[in-house]
Amino acid sequence: MFSKILVANRGEIALRIVRACQRMGIASVVAYSEADRETRAVQLADEAICIGPAEARRSYLSASALLSAAVVSGCEAVHPGYGFLSEDDTFAEMTRAHGLTFIGPPAEVLERFASKAGTRNLLARHGLPIIPGSGMLRDNAQAMAEAERITYPVLIKPSAGGGGKGMRMVRSPRELEQALTICRSEALAAFGDDSLYVEKWIDENRHVEVQVVVDRYGHGVHVGERDCSVQRRHQKIIEEAPSPALDDGRREALCEDALRAVVAAGYENLGTLEFLLDREGNYYFIEINCRIQVEHPVSEMISGLDLVAEQIRIAAGEPLGYSQQDIVLRGHAIEFRINAEDSENGFRPQAGVVEQYIPPGGPGVRMDSHLYSGYEVPPYYDSLLGKLIVWGADREAAIARSRAALDELVVDGLTTNLPLHRALVSHRSFLDGEFTTNLLDRVGSGAFLAARA
Amino acid sequence: MGTDEQLGAQPANGTAPADGLPDDEGRRVLSRLADELLPVLIARLEASNLGELELRQEGWRVRLRRPLPVNGVVGGASAPALPHAQGQPATGASRHAAATATAAQAAAGASPDSRPAAAGRAERQRLTVTSPAVGYFVPRDGMGPGSSLRNGDPLGHIDVLGVRQEVVAPADGILSRLEAEAGQAVEYGQTIARLDPDTRESRG
Repeated sequence: MFSKILVANRGEIALRIVRACQRMGIASVVAYSEADRETRAVQLADEAICIGPAEARRSYLSASALLSAAVVSGCEAVHPGYGFLSEDDTFAEMTRAHGLTFIGPPAEVLERFASKAGTRNLLARHGLPIIPGSGMLRDNAQAMAEAERITYPVLIKPSAGGGGKGMRMVRSPRELEQALTICRSEALAAFGDDSLYVEKWIDENRHVEVQVVVDRYGHGVHVGERDCSVQRRHQKIIEEAPSPALDDGRREALCEDALRAVVAAGYENLGTLEFLLDREGNYYFIEINCRIQVEHPVSEMISGLDLVAEQIRIAAGEPLGYSQQDIVLRGHAIEFRINAEDSENGFRPQAGVVEQYIPPGGPGVRMDSHLYSGYEVPPYYDSLLGKLIVWGADREAAIARSRAALDELVVDGLTTNLPLHRALVSHRSFLDGEFTTNLLDRVGSGAFLAARA
Repeated sequence: MGTDEQLGAQPANGTAPADGLPDDEGRRVLSRLADELLPVLIARLEASNLGELELRQEGWRVRLRRPLPVNGVVGGASAPALPHAQGQPATGASRHAAATATAAQAAAGASPDSRPAAAGRAERQRLTVTSPAVGYFVPRDGMGPGSSLRNGDPLGHIDVLGVRQEVVAPADGILSRLEAEAGQAVEYGQTIARLDPDTRESRG
């Protein structure tokens, strides 16, 4: 096992990793930017090293700054958290080249799963259903033929990109023909590459993902699924487990399929396989996240595992030491991402001083947050202030506790999405477990807030 | 470090503003622009596909323009690059300053500490030299108390995973003491040395 780990991240996940290290008796060194000097992770870690200015490119995204910090402080391993360099195979390779261990999949595994299209094909060969789609399109005629074959509606997507640019959903050949020109120019402008493909558009889909834990020796378990269908602009804000949209039979089939496929494809360490779930309960593999995820506590609450500790153990070469029948999932857990953003004004990110922060408590209530009263939220990074995770014996109990916990939580001084969460947790669509990924954007958060008032 | 040392109203490219030095209010705003706004704007510009980005606020205007590709600028670890900011307070009540910074240059390693200070405007106080990176400090041979340094002269370098990143004097001065020993691990922004201002007649 490692004796000292560099924490190459910030915010709540840096704190989460420091806590895992403390529990495991590992010394932690937090690498921080000038904007993050006054943070909980810096205070709680055994050591802290300023690696650069606020600008992420010169701090949290600078491989040389991070690795130099690891070397001068005598660390043996680097935990990248999520975002930043967490899935960067070049960073993983550099880490190894400097005699350090990357806490995550090894570089060659990251590389194998780096391309979304490549990963889909790889896991499809190992038996996972994928969304019917075309290959790279040569011209409009081929696009029309492929869309006809897949059947409308279809989604046009750029091969190179993400983030919604160059993407259009079309319902007819006429719409497709018009949209192709627009998508090509958008893709060219955004990614310098105008190649497109089309795939089947799944109306009213849900986002369900499977957490897997695989050791270096090919032994793996799944820790059930998480339902992340409450999203705004393709970003999750509420996640829960188990999914209210799956019965036990389907759940087991999904999770077992996912685990079998990634293990067969040579995956290692923690990973999440994301699926789209349609109205009929069919699931389609979309992508894999080769890192710890923001919403990992949901799975921890129902399984009792410490996933960050597992991640560290696996990276250190330890065998899993347990098997699927040892994983017993109990009760229901829900996570609320508390963001510094204005839900009523286009989710504009907010910065400023948290004048008062009072986390909620009680049985089954967990708050993973780096906030404290007086903390200044810097404008340079993402807007996540923390996560409230609530456990109950069943979904109803978890929701009842969530309501109380959300009411108890105080974050004063800047605008947060707490009012939206309070509205959502009382909304019929959520209570009925009927949320789909586009509902919030389609209806608008204003409508949810108004329904509560 | 006082921000005034690093970011005087005097433009870094040496041309004096037409209206002379700004008053305290102007300097305060300029300092804030450089320390808080510019890094964010530069990051935004770089993350975008825009060629130009303009922000108007409190009677001030900042415009960032993406430069044409410049050979050898990006990635030069020891490049003493700086955003060349031009600030000019307008006469009268309404203030106006346009700062142009080239994003690529700024990203190439300009830290507040490697920016040549407003050297001419000698603050009669001790200047600090801070580390531009995390790594091991290696002083230049013969560098020690009493060494005379001109603005931009290297005092030594930081060994960042085997790559040298120069530590340069932020102004003309006499080295009064080294705060880091040879081979010592230093973090970004850590004080490496202190300089006494050069009290001899200022040159030019």
